[in-house]
Amino acid sequence: MTPLVQYILTGIAVMAAIVFLLRKFLPKKTKKSCGTDDCGCH
Amino acid sequence: MSKQINVALIGNPNTGKTSVFNALTGLNQKVANYPGITVDKKEGLCKLSRVLKAHILDLPGTYSLNASSLDENIVIELLLNKNNKDFPDVAIIVSDVENFKRNLLLFTQIKDLEIPTILVINMADRMSAKGISLDIPYLEKVLKTKIALVSARKNTGIAYLKTLISNYRELSLEPCLNASSIDPTYFDQLQSAFPNQQLYKLWLVITQDVNFGKINRQEMDVAVFKTKSKSDLKRLQQKETIKRYQFINNVLKQGQTIDLSKAKDFRATLDRITMHTFWGYIIFFVVLLSIFQAIYDWSSTPMDYIDASFAQLSEWTKATLPSGVFTNLLADGIIAGIGGIVIFIPQIAFLFLFIAILEEIGYMSRVVFLMDRIMRRFGLSGKSVIPLISGTACAIPAIMATRNIENWKERLITILVTPFITCSARLPVYLIIISLVIPQGRFLGLSYQALTLMSLYLIGFGMAILSAATLNRILQFRSKSFFVVEMPSFKVPLIKNVAITVVEKTRSFVFEAGKIILAISVLIWVLASNGPGDSFKNASTIVKQEYVDLDSYQVDQKIAAYRLEHSYIGLIGKSIEPLIRPLGYDWKIGIGLVTSFAAREVFVGTLATIYSVGGNNPDTLKQKMSAEKRADGSAIFSLASGISLLLFYAFAMQCMSTLAVVKRETNSWKWPLIQLFGMTFIAYLISLIAFQLIQ
Repeated sequence: MTPLVQYILTGIAVMAAIVFLLRKFLPKKTKKSCGTDDCGCH
Repeated sequence: MSKQINVALIGNPNTGKTSVFNALTGLNQKVANYPGITVDKKEGLCKLSRVLKAHILDLPGTYSLNASSLDENIVIELLLNKNNKDFPDVAIIVSDVENFKRNLLLFTQIKDLEIPTILVINMADRMSAKGISLDIPYLEKVLKTKIALVSARKNTGIAYLKTLISNYRELSLEPCLNASSIDPTYFDQLQSAFPNQQLYKLWLVITQDVNFGKINRQEMDVAVFKTKSKSDLKRLQQKETIKRYQFINNVLKQGQTIDLSKAKDFRATLDRITMHTFWGYIIFFVVLLSIFQAIYDWSSTPMDYIDASFAQLSEWTKATLPSGVFTNLLADGIIAGIGGIVIFIPQIAFLFLFIAILEEIGYMSRVVFLMDRIMRRFGLSGKSVIPLISGTACAIPAIMATRNIENWKERLITILVTPFITCSARLPVYLIIISLVIPQGRFLGLSYQALTLMSLYLIGFGMAILSAATLNRILQFRSKSFFVVEMPSFKVPLIKNVAITVVEKTRSFVFEAGKIILAISVLIWVLASNGPGDSFKNASTIVKQEYVDLDSYQVDQKIAAYRLEHSYIGLIGKSIEPLIRPLGYDWKIGIGLVTSFAAREVFVGTLATIYSVGGNNPDTLKQKMSAEKRADGSAIFSLASGISLLLFYAFAMQCMSTLAVVKRETNSWKWPLIQLFGMTFIAYLISLIAFQLIQ
């Protein structure tokens, strides 16, 4: 494995990690609101 | 000439419906199949008087009219179709005295179809043994029906049931629940569209079409009435169930009394002991103690093996793959990080094994009942116990489970205090710190480490209760609540069920946490392997100039440590060190605290990565952590800093996902922010006091 391949693989791993964490923790838009006594979610 | 009426026997599975059928029909019965499906159709004849006979149909057992299987669907299709030759003149709902609440759901649904309905309470001979008493006149009045107390086994109450069937024309047709209360707007529209139809029947036709596709009915075609999506209709079905249980709970509050002190059979004796006001808690305490002791005793060998295997795998990777940046990432970032979570599989699996066994034998419901007594004093109800116990696995489903708490104040308090309960994500942190700072000795046969772990669970529960009491005084909402729990009989656990639970829970923990840990380990490795300025770049030269007397291995160690200290992650850790130093933590622990804000278990993976990058030794994670020293030569993970760290994790809100769920469930950022700052403040303060007192 040449140093260039190692750098490319590392870059892919780092990008994948960043994308995964952003998707996991960035707030998503929700259609319904919930939490009142009669929010319709239950 | 005698007249014949149709009688349908309907009930939940295992209520003794077939025994009632046999008692009514004797040998006058036959078994066939329903057309097109292989479901038994049992029918028989019962002579009620000289001029009246009953054709009795024993329908398949069903829990509700929201059918999910084809045999359940038979019941609904019959009740919705007046043109069916078997359409009942009277419906007999058979219930079991021990599961009366659940059985009443089906009863109220059938009653609302305005079919003459009789309620049979079977196994009535077990009432006194179970300490159950029923106010029959009251129940008949509120349920608008006639009730027959029957023991099909002892053949009692059957004659009275026959009398009730004979007089079926006197039965009230009044429904239990006003169907339009489920969703007034929608049901008004429905009624306007079909003014000649009975409303609840229309609703069942629609939901049946949702469940089973459009069924061919000549009488009404509601498929054209598409004002709600499938998911909205499902939600309305859930809402209907909740409304029915609210009605049933209110009925049973007055109509049913369960006095366990009067219960006489063996299971009842067991119940009396396990739910005793004093011995019940002692037994629960002993059960907990045994579980934690077993977790430690049984999992130490596989854990040591896993730890050593990952250390070897990391070394093997470095030795086998060509040296380079990706090899380092694999060995020091990914393998070290994953090893930090895999090591805890044995303990987590054992914990879930014990919880699954307790659930299977029916003991958990007793714990809920026991805890209800404590909860009420602190502004919570028994319904809060289920989320709190679920919180031992994960706070997120536990917070979502609060949705069945009708009282908003109780629900909010439960949401706010649930993250104090020791979740499985805290377990890896606790286990590694306990193994480092708590001695391995025993007290009365119980290891100090197991006792510490149990204490942490109790501390978390205690803080949840204390916070609930405080919030109960602060929050000024007024509302009433009630708690009804169905107590299952004690039974031998099914190995298959236990195995499925353990595998599923462990798999979910490892894979869900594992993905986050893997991603964060990669980022930590990048930040730990790179740094700004000359100090990082020239680390080798600087260290060699400074430590001329050291051998090459020691110099390599010093270079790795120096690089880490001047890397990006080192700078982040150093910047927060002044804030956490009073708690006994150094900058490396500080990095762990920051990254574990994503999820608590990331802490161990982070330290595993940091210590792998910061040294070249092939030791296990535990060995690396115990070798960490301060500038004065004292151990970083001492008793004082260890206890401080354990308490910090016991109380701090180190979980972004939980905050997001609290925001969603409360529809406001106010409560998650209060939770975040409140819990972090409590954690900081208690850890500070603990460290300063112990050191």
